[in-house]
Amino acid sequence: MALTLAETAAAAQARQDVCAEVKTLLVERLTLDVDPAVIGDDQPLFGRGLELDSIDTLELAMAVEEKYGVMITDDDTDSLLSLNRLVDHVQANR
Amino acid sequence: MRPNKTRPNKTRPDGAGADRSRPEGMRLDGQVAFVTGATKGIGLAVATDLARAGATVLLNYRRDVERAKHALRAVAEHQPDAALVQGDVADAGDVNRMFAQIRADHGRLDALVNNAGIASDGYALMMGDAKWHSVLDTNLGGAFLCCRAAGRLMVRQKRGAIVAIGSTSGLNAPPGQANYAASKAGLLAMVRVLAKELGGYGIRVNAVVPGFVDTAMTRTMPPADLDAYLARVPLGRIGRPEDVASVVRFLLCDEVTAYVTGTTVVVDGGMTC
Repeated sequence: MALTLAETAAAAQARQDVCAEVKTLLVERLTLDVDPAVIGDDQPLFGRGLELDSIDTLELAMAVEEKYGVMITDDDTDSLLSLNRLVDHVQANR
Repeated sequence: MRPNKTRPNKTRPDGAGADRSRPEGMRLDGQVAFVTGATKGIGLAVATDLARAGATVLLNYRRDVERAKHALRAVAEHQPDAALVQGDVADAGDVNRMFAQIRADHGRLDALVNNAGIASDGYALMMGDAKWHSVLDTNLGGAFLCCRAAGRLMVRQKRGAIVAIGSTSGLNAPPGQANYAASKAGLLAMVRVLAKELGGYGIRVNAVVPGFVDTAMTRTMPPADLDAYLARVPLGRIGRPEDVASVVRFLLCDEVTAYVTGTTVVVDGGMTC
């Protein structure tokens, strides 16, 4: 069913809100020395992106589980490729 | 000099004189313990024993509400904060829900006892897929799911203790138990892996392997089989669930086993020695 303009705008706003929440969660729980606002939605979380490591993965998985009740395991590694993927996973499973 | 008098042995060789009602040491006051399959047999004995030691015990059960209520009443006599947690350990959704509930209600978990288990025997060449999977999914898969969920709570606390209940079938691999023996042997391997993975977080993981214990599972055995088993037990009697429970508490108690992890304690009256 097609969304109205208002519904589309509301959905976009809701997604932006979750993105902002997850960025803050990342910075606070992983004690990153970066302003949440400068993290790009498509920025890779690992490697050359935010340079997270495997220990951060567990911390991030537990943080997401606590906040959203959504479990992340290594079956869902695609969800850790970027912030957008992570938010997709949260929104699809919460 | 007067000769030393032999002190009367208050604990009879059959163990019946042992007073397990007042665990003076090995206290678990203030701790939250989750016991799977806690409403009968070894699970109920463990739940009762931990409650006597002061722990808030959360008793998991799968289906039988009346039996669960009966078990809760028995355990709550020793620790009124005890509670029931319904769920099938073989179901990942149930496990995640149960641990989310524990986190919401208690905010912590100090001890996990993976006891829930089933048996469904049959010779391997005739064993159906369902029989194989149901036993593996509950005994091994269920323990894995609970350890993963409990571990995520305990990592946050930087402490915790997990005990898995194995079986001598996992050691001596009797015919007719390909599924059960494999699940219990796998459990012992998993315990050692988890001990290594979680030790750095202050979490200890151990196993208790009961031998021939008086439970509903063993009461259905033909008398001839029972006698044959007993002939192999040096202590000459069948075990009681309480014999297992006290060892579980021992392994959960940081006071006495703070430096014990990744090990297996066999409680079988010497049957496998």
